Amino acid sequence: MSAATTAATPSPLVRRRSRRIPWSALSTAAIMVALGAADVIIQPNLLNLFQIGLLLQTALPLVFVAAAQTLVVLVRGIDLSVGGVLVVANGLTVVTVGGAGGDHQLLLILVLVVGLAAGALNGVLVGVLGLQPFIATLGTWTIFNGIALTVLPTDGGTPPPWLINFTLGAVGGVPNTLIILVGVVVVWRILCATKLGIRIRAVGADEDRASLNGTSVLAVKLIVYSLAGLCAALAGILLAGATSTGTPTAGDAYILTSVAAVVIGGTSLVGRGGGVGLTVMAAMALTFISDIVNAENFSVWVSVAASSGLLLVVVVLRGVVEQVVERRHA
Amino acid sequence: MTAWARRAAPTLSAWALCVVLFAIGAIHSSGFAAWDNIRDLLVFASFVGFAAVGETLVVLGGGLDLSVPWVIAFGGIQLSHWASIGGGAGIVAVVAVGAAIGFVNGVGVAWLRVPPIVMTLAVGGLVQAYLLAIGLLQSTGNQLPAAAVDIATSRVAGVPIVALIWLGVALLVGGLLARAALGRKIYAVGASETVAELSGVDVRRVRLQTYMLSGAFASFAGVVISGYVGQTYLDIGNPYLFTSIAAVIVGGASILGGRGTYWGTVAGAMTLTVLGAMLPLFGLSPAGLDIVYGIVILVGVWASTAGGALVLGRIRHHRRRSPQLPGAEVQHAP
Repeated sequence: MSAATTAATPSPLVRRRSRRIPWSALSTAAIMVALGAADVIIQPNLLNLFQIGLLLQTALPLVFVAAAQTLVVLVRGIDLSVGGVLVVANGLTVVTVGGAGGDHQLLLILVLVVGLAAGALNGVLVGVLGLQPFIATLGTWTIFNGIALTVLPTDGGTPPPWLINFTLGAVGGVPNTLIILVGVVVVWRILCATKLGIRIRAVGADEDRASLNGTSVLAVKLIVYSLAGLCAALAGILLAGATSTGTPTAGDAYILTSVAAVVIGGTSLVGRGGGVGLTVMAAMALTFISDIVNAENFSVWVSVAASSGLLLVVVVLRGVVEQVVERRHA
Repeated sequence: MTAWARRAAPTLSAWALCVVLFAIGAIHSSGFAAWDNIRDLLVFASFVGFAAVGETLVVLGGGLDLSVPWVIAFGGIQLSHWASIGGGAGIVAVVAVGAAIGFVNGVGVAWLRVPPIVMTLAVGGLVQAYLLAIGLLQSTGNQLPAAAVDIATSRVAGVPIVALIWLGVALLVGGLLARAALGRKIYAVGASETVAELSGVDVRRVRLQTYMLSGAFASFAGVVISGYVGQTYLDIGNPYLFTSIAAVIVGGASILGGRGTYWGTVAGAMTLTVLGAMLPLFGLSPAGLDIVYGIVILVGVWASTAGGALVLGRIRHHRRRSPQLPGAEVQHAP
């Protein structure tokens, strides 16, 4: 532990944070718990590890895409290409890994490397060439979509059976999907404690000052965009496992939903903090909404209206609270 | 010369790109430069052009409108449901409601200080939900009034009416941005909100107006597009989220606001349309088209920012003593 090096600058921040109540985290948790409770009241059999595992199977692709989006948003970027990386990974999983047959688990590493490389390309465009993240990833989104359609032209193919078994499987009664979900949060907490985590926050808060403090803004951005590509690729693999097939057009729907999850979670688009933990809660809240709508046989528009309405209400309320707080401090 | 060149360079380079691509298509296949083909290209480009009017204004003011595809779908679907009140009145009504949707966006962005991406995303989602709901409640209206079909498909002396309307809109919006007070205020707000505020510009009002215009034009684009297709469906606007933003960017506008022109967007819309029509001639699949589209956007935006400044710097260096273009300063005086 390098307590001496980290203690120099962030201590005032840490002190201030410990005094404040984390409203943003509490409100997101409240939304998730409320929607989760509603879901359980409607379908009491959800209180069963196997059912939870199934629900998480549909939730995990969104969780990973939203986690990818959070990382990029934390350095004041945005990544529209997560949907493109997702479908490339999805296609590769059914065509290359599934097509190889047998137990070629190691081939998944290839898919993950492709995801990393795709993310690194975004990092180069944003960090090295200085393109606006929105535009750079708008371009790569289309490129990745084209690549995905080349890999897998239409819906179809089958992922390797062991992948499907894995997403359905459990260790000692605990579903693998639940372990993965907890794992995402744990990995994020660990990342936060590392130097890299602190640097990501520093770059998000103020690039110039981070740079003056000896942080390589370019390196941080490259790492963050690459990690986002990795997470999006994981989402594509898990989607193939959950749906038992490949869908080269599945990605677009995830892009804006991932931004919605980030914002509902409370991560600021302008570098005022946030984190993957918040986003995971918001992604679960959105999953509960669509699960309730499915259980009650409501039509699709209810789900769309509820998610958009939640986004609008949350963001407007937060904005109003922020303005009130600002006025009180002024 | 230099100030004028710096301002006009992105627009001019977008037009140059469009001309070069068209020339390549024409050389490769003789039918490409035929009037029939040009007419179709103009019609398709005008769809992008209408969808991108609002995107241009909003982006120039430092915002972004992601609700455009859903408002486009709204324009067509709502019009088919309101067919009973008459085609002309129906079109006016859906354009007005489009402006109202833009009003909601504007209030959220300007007064409630919601980030534009989030506000327009949420409002777009609500419009989508509404369209899904009326689609279920009334499965009847899919038939568009004759007025919408007429606008989209008739011709005057061989020239499609939509192309003429687009020319009119371009002159109007171009004039608005270059001459009218609102246009200058949009640039001011996009360049620096604080400076605009201190200079006495009502920043919120200007923002609100750009989003309202965006909603109105997106809704009109929906009327024309569905009139051309002959029917309406929910996903009709989806391709235009990408193309409307891409046209603005390829046209040389800065996504950060304050820089760009509608004529640049016109060039961007034409470039994307020519590219889309041309690549299949070279045996490219839709997947290949996606890849080339993406590369064009990346190269285009790089050229209009960092790369463009690099090249322009060299040109300026070489031509430091060249005479001023006659009338150049007058033409572009603020």
